[in-house]
Amino acid sequence: MFSRRSLLAGATVLGGASLLPAIAHAKGIVTAATYPGSWEDAYRTVVAPALKKAHDIDLELQPLYAVDQIAKVRAARGAPPFDAFVLDPGPRITGIEGGLFEKFDGKKISNAPNLPAGMIDEWGICVGAQVVGIGYNPKKLPKPKGWKDLLSDPWVSRLGITGFQTTFGTVSLIEIAKAFGGSETNVEPAFVELKKVLPKIAAVGNPAAMAGLLQQGQCDITYTNIQTVAILKSRGVDIEFVKPDTGAVAFFTTMHIAKGAADAENAYKYFDTVVSKTVGDALVKPPHNFIPVNKEVVLPPSLPMTNLDEMSTYIRHDWSKINPLRAGWIEKFNKEMAK
Amino acid sequence: MNKLAEWQLTLPLALAFAAIFLAPLLMLVGVSFFDDDKITQPGVAQWAKFLGDPFSYKVIADTLLLGVKTVCATILVGYPLALVYLDSPQRLQKVLIFIIVMPLLLSVVVRTFAWIVVLGREGVVNQVLLSLGIISEPLRLLQTELGLVISLTQIEMPLMLLPLISVMSRLDPNLRDASAALGASRWRTLFTVIVPLSMPGLVAGCLLVFASATTAFISQTVIGGVRLIYLPLLIWQQSLVVFNWPFAAVVSITLLVSVLTVVSALSYLGRRSGGYVHG
Repeated sequence: MFSRRSLLAGATVLGGASLLPAIAHAKGIVTAATYPGSWEDAYRTVVAPALKKAHDIDLELQPLYAVDQIAKVRAARGAPPFDAFVLDPGPRITGIEGGLFEKFDGKKISNAPNLPAGMIDEWGICVGAQVVGIGYNPKKLPKPKGWKDLLSDPWVSRLGITGFQTTFGTVSLIEIAKAFGGSETNVEPAFVELKKVLPKIAAVGNPAAMAGLLQQGQCDITYTNIQTVAILKSRGVDIEFVKPDTGAVAFFTTMHIAKGAADAENAYKYFDTVVSKTVGDALVKPPHNFIPVNKEVVLPPSLPMTNLDEMSTYIRHDWSKINPLRAGWIEKFNKEMAK
Repeated sequence: MNKLAEWQLTLPLALAFAAIFLAPLLMLVGVSFFDDDKITQPGVAQWAKFLGDPFSYKVIADTLLLGVKTVCATILVGYPLALVYLDSPQRLQKVLIFIIVMPLLLSVVVRTFAWIVVLGREGVVNQVLLSLGIISEPLRLLQTELGLVISLTQIEMPLMLLPLISVMSRLDPNLRDASAALGASRWRTLFTVIVPLSMPGLVAGCLLVFASATTAFISQTVIGGVRLIYLPLLIWQQSLVVFNWPFAAVVSITLLVSVLTVVSALSYLGRRSGGYVHG
């Protein structure tokens, strides 16, 4: 007969032995932050298997918004909870100013020759472009022409807006301000116009709740990025993306190595995989609809641009000017919008 | 076991408490006394900015009022439910306790998003009211304080019911019979016998619901939207979006102190009512 002790010991040995091949096999891991939602879905289904296949590295993803990544690494003071950042332009500048990144060695990226010029700098690498415009429900509303339409009938009473917490929210509010005579550094006209129509606006929401609000018909039009529209469409939501008449906004998404990262070398291999043609080919397809930076990837007609050279025709913003003003804008948005 | 040994037994917990709770709290207070977001210039500028802005007082008042409204709603719905539980046969009590505890088994995020489906423009409530012809246009329930209080009432209900039921189950059933035998009506028995005796449980429930509702960041922002501004939203914006940690620390301490003040008052009431019941 087996005693309880011998049974437990046997089970432990067997259990431990089952882990051995994995331990001997795994070349390592890389812990990377990624945006929750569409990015997390895409990276889990496309990038993680590709990284495992190409370099035998396991990808651990931490879904965090850009600002949350900066806050976590700042709070960790030299012992970052992940190796790789993925950031929009505003938080990227905050990260550089705060000394949160390791210097970037572009020579370690084997796919570098396939990237357009200027995609790698001393702080990181561009991995994709994002396009921000208007998402609306074509079954409920006529197609809007531009930012100005958002604040007039019939769109305004079905409009959902967010504040300056996110990149897409900030750039959209800047564009609304510009449509009413403001500028990149003067969003006052947006506040004035929003205040006039505030009682009519369907939802002033948390960015994380906007997809749910659109899905539930709480609002039928909002400013958003093309990936969110793509993912909602793939879930059966009636939504279409519109490039505003004054132009859609585009910005690059960049990746960086966190200062004090445990697996910096694996992070380079992760970046190399992300910008590879294989991963790019998979990410451009629905439901992901990403805009990759690898020149060898053919962009399908469903995307708003046919190649990355068109980035110059999109509206770009100077985040070194926006960042210092953002805290004040957030405060003002709270006060102006508060019930 | 002698007294000294008992005292030593509490040491690990006390040390963990000091390291995990007290030290960060002291750091929070320390950080609030810096003027700049880089935490290099000591000063009271952030306190002056927060306390000198009338908007801050509105946010504090709204946060505390949200707690009060949620507590009142949970009492209104929860107390009759506790009475039904008290009068139910044991088998039904088991079913009821399962129903009461069930929301706790779900993540607060799931419960909160479920309320979007219920309260939305095309949600269950509006669909029912529209199909019954009670309303002709969908009601705006999401992104209103009413919708937020309704959802918080359901989300926080177990925190009210569990202490309440635990206290009420221990009430001597003979007391109710004695009250009835002496000619008291059911209402009089309720207000002069059951309510006073259940006060410790009621106060404990109020305390938990108040503390939880005032700090329920996810529900407040997802259901209430960002036009209803409460202290947790300000803390999140300042710490995670603007990275002004000294200002976030000031708002955090304000939330802590204002909630603690109300909780202490409730706790004092609870101790008094406990003395009244047993003394």
